[in-house]
Order: sequence, then structure tokens, then C-alpha cells
Amino acid sequence: MMQTIAIFVAAYRELSARRLFWLALGITLVVVGLFACLGLNETGISFLGWTFDSPFYNTTTTSPETFYKQLFVSLGVEWWLGLIATLLALVTTCGIVPDLVAPGSVDLLLAKPITRSRLFLTKYASGLLFAALQVLVFTTASFIVIGIRGGAWEISLFAAVPIVTFFYSLLFSICALIGVVTRSSVASLILTLLAWAVIFTINFAEMIVSRGRLANEMEGRSIVASLASTEDPPDDETREELEADLARVREHEPNWNTAHGWLFGIKTCLPKTTDTLALLDRWLIDPAMLPQRGEDSTRGAEGAFGSRRVRGGEFERAVRDERRAHSLWWIVGTSLLLEGCILALATLIFARRDY
Amino acid sequence: MLHESPELAVNLSDVRKRYGRTIHALRGVSICVRRGEIFGLLGPNGAGKSTLVKIMMTIVRPESALGEVLGRAVGDPDALARIGYLPEHHRFPTYLTGRQIVEFSGAMSRVDRPTRKRRASELLDRVGMGAWKDRPLGSYSKGMRQRTGLAAALVNDPQLVVLDEPTDGVDPVGRREIRDLLVGFRDEGRTVLLNSHLLSEIETVCSRVAIMVQGRMVAQGTIDELTASSRRYEIIVEGPPPPWGSDHASVQAIPAGHLLAAGVAQASTRLIFLGLDAQGAQPILDRLRAESRTVVAVQTVRESLEDLFMRAVTDPDTGLIYRPGAAT
Repeated sequence: MMQTIAIFVAAYRELSARRLFWLALGITLVVVGLFACLGLNETGISFLGWTFDSPFYNTTTTSPETFYKQLFVSLGVEWWLGLIATLLALVTTCGIVPDLVAPGSVDLLLAKPITRSRLFLTKYASGLLFAALQVLVFTTASFIVIGIRGGAWEISLFAAVPIVTFFYSLLFSICALIGVVTRSSVASLILTLLAWAVIFTINFAEMIVSRGRLANEMEGRSIVASLASTEDPPDDETREELEADLARVREHEPNWNTAHGWLFGIKTCLPKTTDTLALLDRWLIDPAMLPQRGEDSTRGAEGAFGSRRVRGGEFERAVRDERRAHSLWWIVGTSLLLEGCILALATLIFARRDY
Repeated sequence: MLHESPELAVNLSDVRKRYGRTIHALRGVSICVRRGEIFGLLGPNGAGKSTLVKIMMTIVRPESALGEVLGRAVGDPDALARIGYLPEHHRFPTYLTGRQIVEFSGAMSRVDRPTRKRRASELLDRVGMGAWKDRPLGSYSKGMRQRTGLAAALVNDPQLVVLDEPTDGVDPVGRREIRDLLVGFRDEGRTVLLNSHLLSEIETVCSRVAIMVQGRMVAQGTIDELTASSRRYEIIVEGPPPPWGSDHASVQAIPAGHLLAAGVAQASTRLIFLGLDAQGAQPILDRLRAESRTVVAVQTVRESLEDLFMRAVTDPDTGLIYRPGAAT
């Protein structure tokens, strides 16, 4: 335990010696400051005295509590912590493993009574310290803002700390593996960003295809319902048109299912970075409390996929429900499994190498 | 068959290491370092010295390594906790202060917090870094970093101190101070294994040495033992060699003027008697005096460590220096 604490203390000293660490924390507080400047009134969203009218976000459609929580999840966590702060964290910590295995540095540690695997994994864990500290600062500041401005002292906000740290750990495990193989900070950073881009692209493609499949499926159900309607039976011309549309939908269905099946299969094997962050949305936001956007509109939902019969609000709810239906095991378990495999490989390489 | 020895701090045999398929860094090396001595490890570049040290410190994994370090198998955590190690090109984090480096080293060697805090201050004072202990390493000179490294190597109160080129890059004054520290370590009962290129340094402080060439241990023992075969008596007399001289000794003519420092202007003769001791020299001196020859000097001569080293790294068949690097 003494050695573990020593490595963590050294990691904190290393981070605090880097200007980027303080810069990132400073920017984090600025972001929360801007977050605090946003407000909700009867007509829309206010910001430092200006009001931006919004039919969806005002005190008649949304409570300040839900507004701030959604801001925290959508902008604070998904965009700030999930993208910009993660980039800063990767830039700051990408050198941890290459520095560990550098000649003259690794000798000092390997000569100590600590196993190589423990040394490597402790160093890896200490690398997560940066992300954890950053999220903790952001969440604490957001907790205070939401408490004061939103009137809700939501302790479950702190679920962001393990979730975002876990999200970061997925990327940092890749960074650690590349670092131990190449011994280069630059290569670790670039290849990790590349891997992240690949994961993001596959996630994004799966999301698009999933929406298309769902829209197609919902349109099919809607057509079947229209054809079977006894209250408002279609006339012959409409029936013909509906049957033609249904045939087209049925024709597309296997293609959507196959494409989605493949992408879902690939995604299952990869770290689920987007879904990991979306866990917060699942735990913090009650969909019933959100403003019901475009409930009667069919615009938006069908835009990309040509559906004319699916309502926008209904479609978005279906998408959200489907996303929330993914089990915690599928999101965290499979990601952890892959992270474990990556770390095991990196540890094996570190432990078997001569320095 | 190896037996644990309370007298030996390091007792290793058949240490082998191969890099890839062709580079044999160590080819069955054996080394014995006695407790409480300063032991010097010598050899040209690529001889395998650092590999041997790194194997002892578990930094390099051997193909085989029989025997013990501090009575335990190589890599045993309890033994490692009792060893202090300073690698050749050590790279301590530059943002840490001297005190933090020593304390971190102590924590990694499982030294409890109060002890390592106390020892950090004591040791930094001892190596002359007391005034700098709270400044970051980035502001230190090379010599100051070496001293701090020495303090870090001692924080766990080690029984064995392994130092790889500890005076590398240090000025002559600093070298002298480090040498004095090494002697101090020995006087405290610690064993010091010193890997150095500086023969004069080794000769000054080491009681025993080992010479490695191309992954093999070619000599090991005290400097006296290793140079015994080259010990000789030299007698210098004025004038030409005695007629019987070449029967007993090798004879070297010394031209006139070459012994002016000894007050001798004329040509002289050096008679070299191999394997002769003081007792055996007396009849020869008696004979020279009986012949009324002036004896200018009588001295015991033996190889210097440098001569010994050069002999060890020279191929006796070809007379050429073994090429640097590990044997293939």
C-alpha cells in the first residue's frame, strides 16, 4: 500500500508541475462559471441579462432543476468532459507510460521490491488521477451551481466522476498500450486519438443506422395500423399507396437489420465511449420532465430516412428508449472486458521486456 | 553446487543472457562479492557489466542465474528491499525536490514514513546537499544529481549498494568526495559493488575487482592476487650490465642522462628478476657489491591495474585488443 500511495503522490506532483493541468482546471471553472450565468425565465433562456426566446426551454415547459441537469449532462459532460477536457487530459497524461519505460527511469523503479505488473497497473491508475480530479472539480462546481440556480442539491450528479473516469480509462488503456510498445508520447497521443476517431465513427454509424432501422420499423407499424384502421378506413387509392409503401418498407427492412447487426456486433467488441457517457443521462434525467418537442410534427424524424408517418417526438422517444434499453452489462461489462484485455497485453509486454 | 554463504553478499554463477539469437551478452558469468568490501567491476564497453548489474536488480531477465544476492534468489523482494541502487544514466523526475526524491525512493523500498523523512534529511546533509534539499532537481548540476542519487540509494539503509558509474560526469573534487563516501559506506559495514570505467577510482577504493570481456569473467580477486604473476624485482646499477646478468635476469640498458633525477649521469643497466622476492634478491645484491658496482635503486614492481586491464582485454594469440561489444 505504501508503494501505491507513493506512486499516486508522485503522479499528483507530476501533474501539478505541468502548466496544462492548471490550465485545464482553470478552463473547467470558467466553463462552470458560464454555466452559472445561464438562466431560465418565462420566455426562454437568459444569459448575462440577455434573453433568448425559446418555445421549448422556458419556465412554463421546464423546471430550472431539469434545465440545469440537462445542461450538465448534454453540454457539461458530453461535450466538455467527454470531448475537450478528455483531449486535454490525453495531452497531459500521454507521456506517463513512455516516461515510465524510459531508460534511467524504469531502472530506478524496477530495482525496488515491487512486481512489474503491480508497478505498471499502479502507474496506469495514477494516470486516471488527472481525469478524476478534473471531473471532480467540474462536478462539485456544477453541484453548487445547480443547487443555487436550480434549487436542487442533486448528489447523484457525482455519478459523473466514476462514469467519466471510466470513459477516460477506456482511452487511456489504449494510450498505455501504445506507450509501452512505442515508448513515445507523441505516438501514444496520435494513435490514441486515431483509435478514438475510429470508435466514434463506428458508434456514429451505428447510431445513424439504428435510427434508420427504427424509423423504417415505425413507419411499417404505422402503415399496418392505417390499413387495419376501422375508425378511419383508407379509400382504395390510399390503400393502394399504403400497400406500395409497406412493400417498400418490408423490402428495406432486411437491409437495415443486416447493416445494423454488423455495426452493433462491431460496436459490442469496442469500448462504448458514447454509451458510457449516456449512462448519466439515463440516471439523472427523467424523460417525462423534459419539454415535449415536436410531438405532433413528422418533421425531423423522417428527414434522413424518408418516413412520412412517424411523429418527431414519438420517434425521439423511441430512440431514447432503445438507447436506454442497452443493459449496463453490455455498456460497461463489454467495455471493461476489452479494457482488461488491452491492459493485460500492455502489462505482459511491460513485464517481459528487458530494459 | 552453491551454498548460502553468510560471508558473501553476492554469490552468482552461470549467469547467462542472450539478446536475440546472436548476441551473447553474458556467457556463464560467476561473481562473488564478500560482505563489507568495495568490489570493482571492470570491463570495456559491451563486456556485459551493466547487464550483470541489471540482472541482479531484476531490470534484465536472465536465461539463467544460479545463486543468491544477500542470501536470496535474484529478484527476491526482501533482498531488493535491502539493496540500494544507482543506475548509470538515472533520470529522476526534475520537478521533484531532492528530499522528495529520497523519500519516494524510501517509500518504494518499503521504508516507513517517519524513518524515510528522517533519513532523507540526514542523507542529503551527508552527501552535501543539505542546502539544496528543498529545491527541484531541475536546478541541480550533474554532480548534485549524483549526490542526490546516492542519498536515494541509501535511504533504505541497504546492506548492498550497487553503483553504476557513480562518478560519471562529476568533476575531480566531486569524484574525490564520492570516493570518500564509498569508503564511508564500507566502514559502516555495507557492501559496495562499483561498476566503473575509471581504473584509478577502482584501484583507489576497491579491495577486490573483477574484469569482464565479451560476456565472460576473465579475472576476479584482489589486485595483489591478480598481479602476483607479474610481480618482479628491479635492480638498477651504474655502468654496463654484469657479465652474468643475462643468465638470471632480463637486462635493459639505460642511456646516459636518463637517471639524472637519481643523481646518476652515466649510462646504467636495469636488471629485471621475475618472481623474485626480497630474500632471493639478497645474494644478487651481495654479488653486485662484491664486484664494486654502484646500486642506484632496488624496487619491487608489479602491474598497475591499467596494465592488468589491458592484458585482460588483449587477445594473447594476436596481441590485438578484443573488439568492443558482446560476443556473438
